[in-house]
Amino acid sequence: MSDHVFEWLGAYHDGELRGGRLHQVEQHLAECGACRAELDEIRGLSLFLQDAAPAEGFLPTERFVSNLMLKLPRRPELPLRRINLQIGWWLAPVGLLLALIFVNVTSVLSSAVSLAADAGLLGNGLPWVREAALQMNWFGSAMNLFGDQLSGPGQAILEMLNDANLFIARLIKPLFTQAILAIGYLGWLFAWWMRIQDHTTHTAQDSSRF
Amino acid sequence: MTLPDRDAEAVLISRAQHGDRNAFGELVSLHHRGVVQVIYRMCGDVELAQDAAQDAFIRAWLNLHSFRPDSSLRNWLYRIAINAALDVLRRNAKTAEVDFEALSLPDLQDGPEAALLQKERQAEVRQAILDLTEAGRAVLVLREYGELSYQEIATALDIPLGTVMSRLNYARRQLKQSLQRHMIRKEIENV
Repeated sequence: MSDHVFEWLGAYHDGELRGGRLHQVEQHLAECGACRAELDEIRGLSLFLQDAAPAEGFLPTERFVSNLMLKLPRRPELPLRRINLQIGWWLAPVGLLLALIFVNVTSVLSSAVSLAADAGLLGNGLPWVREAALQMNWFGSAMNLFGDQLSGPGQAILEMLNDANLFIARLIKPLFTQAILAIGYLGWLFAWWMRIQDHTTHTAQDSSRF
Repeated sequence: MTLPDRDAEAVLISRAQHGDRNAFGELVSLHHRGVVQVIYRMCGDVELAQDAAQDAFIRAWLNLHSFRPDSSLRNWLYRIAINAALDVLRRNAKTAEVDFEALSLPDLQDGPEAALLQKERQAEVRQAILDLTEAGRAVLVLREYGELSYQEIATALDIPLGTVMSRLNYARRQLKQSLQRHMIRKEIENV
């Protein structure tokens, strides 16, 4: 009989084999006397170790605990770094939510002010709002530099680009920021859920084996 | 003492982490036996094992804040216990040889000859375990006496799973060679 499975017999004896390897070892053991003998030796050794050396003469648990309590140093305090980490862990979602609310509120306010400025409701007050609401910085600079040289269609294209950019700035940018914050918040929720799951799994499978 | 469910233990751990000595005392009560057994098998001496066990639990108390509640306290304690046992062994060269006379008295009901054999067997087993390398001994003790799975041993000793298996195989081969004479004799007795 070739391909003995000596190196797997210890793990087989300990109940640590699964799946294909377990099947392979079981199949081989059914046919191989040498490996069966080796497995018997491992079993015998394990029993011998358990039987031959009983531990006696130790202090009873109650007395051991009493003695230990007398020698136990002062209570260990949580190190500052760990406290900070714990505080940071719980502050993270609060911070993300506050940031989300802030972005939403400022976005709505900004749109309202821009609309009011566009509609002329602000009169001549706050002219910078109206100006800022109507053109991007690059558009202003481009018009200052090349405005005289550009023909009608050229200016129209620039204005279209400016309008598109304004649209992105007004709509997409806040949405993008909100999406990032929402992903951060969902990420935290996921990490929190994973921690709970991990703990539950660990509880259910205290002696996990491969 | 029986081990509590993990939720009850988690509560005790949390209380102990916040400095509750009584909660820590309860945890010690729960794990004392296992920890002492592991240490005793590592160093082969009752007195040293008790000192090392005390040392291990004090270390655990001082470092309890670093224990992650989602991991196993028993495995964590065993890891500390192994280190405490090795420290004690390094400090006390006397355990390099087992004190034959200091071994516990065997059961005399089977007659003085059987009692003597049992005592001799105890000494041989302890010496054979002590003759293993520290790395091999730790893996063997956690498996045979701590009853940890390979994965738990790997986690406790921070070594790969394959290393656990190879060290265990090597340690068992060595023990078989050292104890062959006694194992054969025991088989004959049992026949």
